Amino acid sequence: MKQRSKLSQEQTQNIEHDALQKTRLQAGQEFATADELLRFDAAQTAVPPHLAERLKESMANAGPPPRRSWWHRLLGH
Amino acid sequence: MTDPAEGAELMERPAAAWPSDEIAGLYEQHQRAIYYLALRFLGDSQRAEDATHDVFLKAFRKLDQFRGESSARTWLYRIAINHCQNLQQSWHHRHVLPNSDDAIWEMSAAKTDSPLRVLETKELGQRIQQTLDRLSEEYRLLLLLVADEELSYEQIGVLVGQSTDAVRGKLHRARKTFAALFEQSA
Repeated sequence: MKQRSKLSQEQTQNIEHDALQKTRLQAGQEFATADELLRFDAAQTAVPPHLAERLKESMANAGPPPRRSWWHRLLGH
Repeated sequence: MTDPAEGAELMERPAAAWPSDEIAGLYEQHQRAIYYLALRFLGDSQRAEDATHDVFLKAFRKLDQFRGESSARTWLYRIAINHCQNLQQSWHHRHVLPNSDDAIWEMSAAKTDSPLRVLETKELGQRIQQTLDRLSEEYRLLLLLVADEELSYEQIGVLVGQSTDAVRGKLHRARKTFAALFEQSA
């Protein structure tokens, strides 16, 4: 009876382990190539929100944006 | 001693505005691509933030030189690549295993056609960074550029100063090497 009970415990552990593995696999993802993986990574990566403010201040301190020369404007560049 | 009135003025200072719609548009449209390139190329979020800041500030200062012959994206990438490469050279922060790429590729070429399986997304960024850090600068840059779907092989070739065929060949090897190293990092 004791033996039977031990087996049952091992079986239970195996079932739990399998279930855990399955959960992980379901939660996981597969990527066919490095490109796909990096695209996924890029999509998950957020730009620090304060960067825009920092940049605006730096640009304000840098003065007005340079004007295009008249021949660039004339040529539509 | 700071004048209290001055302090209050500083605290209530309104948010700065973009100096022009053009630069605002450039930032809005390309910030993520430039930040991601800097992040994974430099391997450090603070350095990536500083680099992205500097890239857009340089773009702002050189806006009059942008002739529209290339897309704004490739123009910004060119500034970003130069900037990041200069940073790497000056700070000596390279984590390159000399001549390791080919050896790794040869060793595990047969195994790397299987998909890249990710079980835990929590540490995915770290694994990707560790893998990229072990690649040569050239392979790392090529993989980061090709991951941007807006760039063609031709545009990547122009950015890295190589022919389209050379880019294709090197990318093939870069992907294999990345896959082998990524597998090892699991």
